[in-house]
Amino acid sequence: MNSLADNTIMLKVKAGDLDKMGLLFERYNRPLYGFLFHMTYQRETSEDLVQQVFYKMLKYRETFTATGEFVHWMYSIARNTLKDQGKSLKQRVKHENTDDHAERLSGGLTPEEHLEKKQAKLGLYKAMEKLSDSHREVLTLSKFQELKYQEIAQILDISEIAVKTRAHRAMLELKSIYEKTER
Amino acid sequence: MKCEQYEELFAGWLNNELKPAEKEMLEQHLTGCAACKAELASMQQLWVLMDEVEVPEPSANMQADFRTMLNDYKAAEAGKKSSSIGILEQLGWLWQWKQRWPLAYTLAIVLISFGCGYLFFNLAGGSKQDKQMVELTSQVHELKQTMMLALLENPSASERMRGVSYTGEIKHADKEVIDALLSTLNNDPNVNVRLSTLDALTRLAGHPEVRQGLVQSITQQDSPLMQSAIADVMLKLQEKSSVKSFRELLKQKDLDHGVRDKIKETITQLI
Repeated sequence: MNSLADNTIMLKVKAGDLDKMGLLFERYNRPLYGFLFHMTYQRETSEDLVQQVFYKMLKYRETFTATGEFVHWMYSIARNTLKDQGKSLKQRVKHENTDDHAERLSGGLTPEEHLEKKQAKLGLYKAMEKLSDSHREVLTLSKFQELKYQEIAQILDISEIAVKTRAHRAMLELKSIYEKTER
Repeated sequence: MKCEQYEELFAGWLNNELKPAEKEMLEQHLTGCAACKAELASMQQLWVLMDEVEVPEPSANMQADFRTMLNDYKAAEAGKKSSSIGILEQLGWLWQWKQRWPLAYTLAIVLISFGCGYLFFNLAGGSKQDKQMVELTSQVHELKQTMMLALLENPSASERMRGVSYTGEIKHADKEVIDALLSTLNNDPNVNVRLSTLDALTRLAGHPEVRQGLVQSITQQDSPLMQSAIADVMLKLQEKSSVKSFRELLKQKDLDHGVRDKIKETITQLI
């Protein structure tokens, strides 16, 4: 859809029209922030990281070759940025935060539904938080960023079969943690 | 095929990533295997629940910070470009000289005369000229310093960053410069400005008051980026007196977990 245009825009940035990066920011700041949020569960950190990723895309714009999609390049840089930060990707979200978050999300439900759904969501949050980094990463990319296995394979630089296996194990791990989590 | 092998297709089925043949195979198995069917159903329940996971809204700062960063970047890039154009232009001039040899000879003679004159006067009144030179240098130095201090007060982040970068040219930073930089380090609203200030101060780490200021700044930084950058600097400087401040920082409950790990590591390496 946007892919051709994305690459064209990024090539313009590469050629020196730096203002065009603003267009890419408009398109991708939210998805990128979403990805970083799932990888850190920290709002401010994620915002900081979004800036860093866009800064790196400006700084290393020469390395963009347009042989792949712009978004894949962006996510690869985002992954490297997370690594560079020396942050363990797994950062525990504080439990009161999880509660607040679930509370807010389940605001519009009837009382009975409310309680049940709230518990279920809370359990899911806790389970996702406990998920190993690589499993959370593959689930985030496929479920929340809605990327295809073939695209994820490019971003993670592994085979499509490996993505398939990893996604399967991730779901198994998530389910097993979810079922064990006290609610 | 065993149930386990079918199970491997579950995630792909939920994600709509199965090949038509795989999908058909799995669905056929499900009609005859209640256990797999139940397993997939409960996984699907979780998968659907994941749709309700929401990411909190980023603050409005994210947009504004991006604009600032882009403008700063453009300004820095423009600065680089203009200086490289300058060199190119000068090279162009040289090229033109080459094509006009007669003119080049004239120039050579003029240069030689200047050289002789300079040598002559230098020998005659060397000490006086030296004194004037020193005075001039110190005036330029003062001018740069005043400009830098003024730039640090500028409302635009890119101008403040330019101010910070001037400190690289100031050879002997005095107390006023150091104080201004430390105050920028602790109070500037823009994280990019704070980061480059930290860089500039690291270069001045020979001054004891800079080291002291950096150590004091540890507990005043609230951005994880800055906290982690300061930890790097302290490690580089092997500043053992920072350990106390880091321990103080670790007491903060809302400290970023990545930073927490990093600081713990820094402390172990420093002790």
